Amino acid sequence: MAKHSIMVIDDEKIVGDMAKLSFEQDGYEVETFLNGESALERLKERRFDVVVTDLKMKGVDGLEVLRTVKKLYPGVKVIMITAFANLDVAIEALRDDVHDFFPKPVKIKELKASVKRALGEE
Amino acid sequence: MKKPFFRRLKEVFAPGQTEASSDLTTHFRDFQAVLDGNNRALEAMTEMGEKLGGEYLFDVNYTRSAYATLFSAISGALDHFNLLTDGQYPQLAGTLARIDTLVQRMLRGGASLSSPLVVFYPEITWDQAEEVGGKNYHLAELANALHLRIPHAFAITTTAFTVFLHHNGLEARLAALAEADTATLAEVRTAILAGGFPEDFSAALGAALEKLRDRLGHNATLAVRSSAEEEDGEYSFAGQFETRLNVPCTVEAVQSAYKEVVASLFQANATSYQRQLGYDLGTLKMAVGCVAMIDAKASGVIYTAAAGKDRSRMAISAAWGLGPGVVDGLTDADLYTVAKEEMLRVVERRIGAKARMVVNLGGSGIATVETPAEQRPLACLSEPQVLELGRQALAIEKYYKGPQDIEWAMDAQDRCYLLQARALRVEDPAETPASADTSAATGYPVLLRDQGIVVQRGATAGTVFILQHLDELEKIPKGSILVAKHDSPHFVQAIPILHAIITDIGVPTSHMASICREFNIPTVVNTGSATSVLRHGQAITLQAGEGSEVVVYEGIVQSLLREERQTAAKLRELYEFRRQKYIMRYIAPLHLVNSLEQEFTPEKCKTVHDLVRFMHEKAVQALVANAEGQGRGFHRFFGTKTAVHRLALPIPVQMLVIDLGGGLRSTTGRKAPGFDEVASVPLRAVLAGMLAPGVWQNEGVPLRGADLLSGMTRAADVPGGAAIMENVALASSEYVNMSLRFGYHFNMLDCYCSDTPRNNHIYFRFVGGAAAITNRSRRIQLMAQVLAEQGFALKAKGDLLVGRLSGLNRQEIEGILNQLGRLIGFTRQLDARLDSDEMVTILARRFVQGDYRITP
Repeated sequence: MAKHSIMVIDDEKIVGDMAKLSFEQDGYEVETFLNGESALERLKERRFDVVVTDLKMKGVDGLEVLRTVKKLYPGVKVIMITAFANLDVAIEALRDDVHDFFPKPVKIKELKASVKRALGEE
Repeated sequence: MKKPFFRRLKEVFAPGQTEASSDLTTHFRDFQAVLDGNNRALEAMTEMGEKLGGEYLFDVNYTRSAYATLFSAISGALDHFNLLTDGQYPQLAGTLARIDTLVQRMLRGGASLSSPLVVFYPEITWDQAEEVGGKNYHLAELANALHLRIPHAFAITTTAFTVFLHHNGLEARLAALAEADTATLAEVRTAILAGGFPEDFSAALGAALEKLRDRLGHNATLAVRSSAEEEDGEYSFAGQFETRLNVPCTVEAVQSAYKEVVASLFQANATSYQRQLGYDLGTLKMAVGCVAMIDAKASGVIYTAAAGKDRSRMAISAAWGLGPGVVDGLTDADLYTVAKEEMLRVVERRIGAKARMVVNLGGSGIATVETPAEQRPLACLSEPQVLELGRQALAIEKYYKGPQDIEWAMDAQDRCYLLQARALRVEDPAETPASADTSAATGYPVLLRDQGIVVQRGATAGTVFILQHLDELEKIPKGSILVAKHDSPHFVQAIPILHAIITDIGVPTSHMASICREFNIPTVVNTGSATSVLRHGQAITLQAGEGSEVVVYEGIVQSLLREERQTAAKLRELYEFRRQKYIMRYIAPLHLVNSLEQEFTPEKCKTVHDLVRFMHEKAVQALVANAEGQGRGFHRFFGTKTAVHRLALPIPVQMLVIDLGGGLRSTTGRKAPGFDEVASVPLRAVLAGMLAPGVWQNEGVPLRGADLLSGMTRAADVPGGAAIMENVALASSEYVNMSLRFGYHFNMLDCYCSDTPRNNHIYFRFVGGAAAITNRSRRIQLMAQVLAEQGFALKAKGDLLVGRLSGLNRQEIEGILNQLGRLIGFTRQLDARLDSDEMVTILARRFVQGDYRITP
């Protein structure tokens, strides 16, 4: 069975690094990006099975990533993580069909469970 | 805190009651504010420990805001503490400011430029770890804090390193090194070796060397060694950087050695190590140590926990001549095994062949030579010498609260010097896999069995690569099992692609051994014959267990292969993760445990946790002193009874009660008040629980092995059942604040219990213990299980438990307090009994059913 692929976008390196280590441990293929722009470029080239993105980033933010993913790959689930839990944004993200929404710091176990649900594995 | 005379007069003439009680009220408010700040600080600390522990994704914004919360809580507590104690401890503000500077610096990720270029070891202070590097810092600490013998030495700081780079225009080059290839790295090394020194650097170095020559004579020579920022911290960097031995005590010679050491930051093995640890090349700062050479007759290494998970024994290796003989695995050393019992005891003595030794060539460096034949069979150490080293090693282990890897040397006069101490990476029992089923390997030919010493356990498979020469390291294919005659710290280059290492000769105390443990690479040394038995290109499976339980099978035995390494172990390899976690070392460790010890001083406070502990203790004392003082005043002038009472209880607990109003009923005559006189609703409820039949376990529970060891890290033992005068309850009719200390653990209870449910609350905190941490955290689990049933919101981490509950009515609160009182009594000596997780569930269930037996 081919490995499931996960795209992780966060402007802080440590988040991507930790997520990569943790997900690779479970046999996923992971690519990390430090900003929305580079992630969108990559999305033009290929599809990921799940996208995990920070909400608040300079330039292209998480909501824009979400919309682009939904446009390019309607079936792909997007999980949002953010340090600033803001109800308005959460509602906006929900309207755009976000799969899950976590405040940071997020428990890795919960994020993994969410990814599994997104992939229909649970 | 004597009151000014006019105030005492005022007490006589003015209505004393009002004056005095308002004074007590002010003090009490400060006291409560101290406790409140402390509690919030502890909670923030626990929360940070949890979030930064590896189970959460977090970013620096989180760390910053969590630290801000912590800082505001502790500084608030400190303000009120200063009011309460009349500014008796001005040092604490300075300590907090230093902690804050250190943490802020780590959050920003930059070092300060204000530190000196050169520092002598006796002048190194606790907050200079980053400036002098880990290795200098720890060695200095052995002398400064533990008064053990180390050579004369000074550190050239990381500030000096920055100054050196700047002077030679190397900063920009280093900043661009991230993806550098081998050629670029070689250029950087050349540039460093050709570098010059600014005048202030040379002057500071010259002055330091002169001082050393004055002390040691003109023929003295130095060991010039690396001491990088993180070296000997979470990661050892064992053997990764250059050390120059026998360097003359002149500015020119030391400068040239300095450049060689600094340049070794960029040699192949060291860069590969840095990359594995997530460093961007060029960011690691290096301090250097200049340590007077000991012309060693013999030298070696001590592991205070023997190989595997046996922490009750230590291993001391020794060889003739200078240190590299042992740490570079050059020779088959003597190995002494010492049992860490009350009296240390040598339980095993294995005399090695010691075919080669490293000697001092006077003014021209060092050389490896054949050991004279008559010297080889001789033991390097006598039994008393082994025991003396053992005692020192134990003192170090006790001080750092964990197993240590220590280098030592003995001079011609048989004086032992310590040259290095660092944390020894031992397997966490929780991470240890269950031993694999060997029957699964039936049918596979066995190539080696029970030969050698296991350095890192594990089962793995791969293709044999027999290494003839270090140059071949670059050619090793991924997934190989490296088989070599000797071990070498250079193997680290290949570690990312290796599945295991097996050597013919070597000791479990070498640099390579340290690194294999850090990276969890199954490793076996000293098999004697691996290079001749195993064939290059052969597929094998290695199963390395405890001690010398080694089996090498021909072929790949799939069923033996265990899962990949744990996430937590891998996370430690992320530099940024470690950097943020490092902040915790200025926050969480507790150095001040026993308030009865002389060490319990403001000067010894080094972390936020120490500050919390110190303030709590002294705040209670200040309040008691204040209330007692007032009580005496009343008594003298008005014949009013004192506000402080010693409670007479039918259990061996001495408790002072400070009556804030309505806490105690008046007693008849001079009799000390007992339970019947307690009028405070919450105090009465909790005492009723403590006094319930069967709850108070009076038989002393003996501490064993590991318990004793970790118990010793705290303080002198407290015999079971003995009372300690540190229990204080502040009580009014509807309120109690109680601090209880039994042996090594602390209970804190703060409760308001009135007829208005929304005002009611219980705050309960439990921390510490004398047994091993696994047992202590089991006790916490047990308490958490019980308290969760009572509806507490709980936070638990290690041996700390915090529970909160509010908004219940009076009867409910009283019931819960009664149960809590039972739990306080019941758990007093429980940790030593909790040998398994099952016991936790069993005893928790029994407790809830009212059965307080603690025997299995």
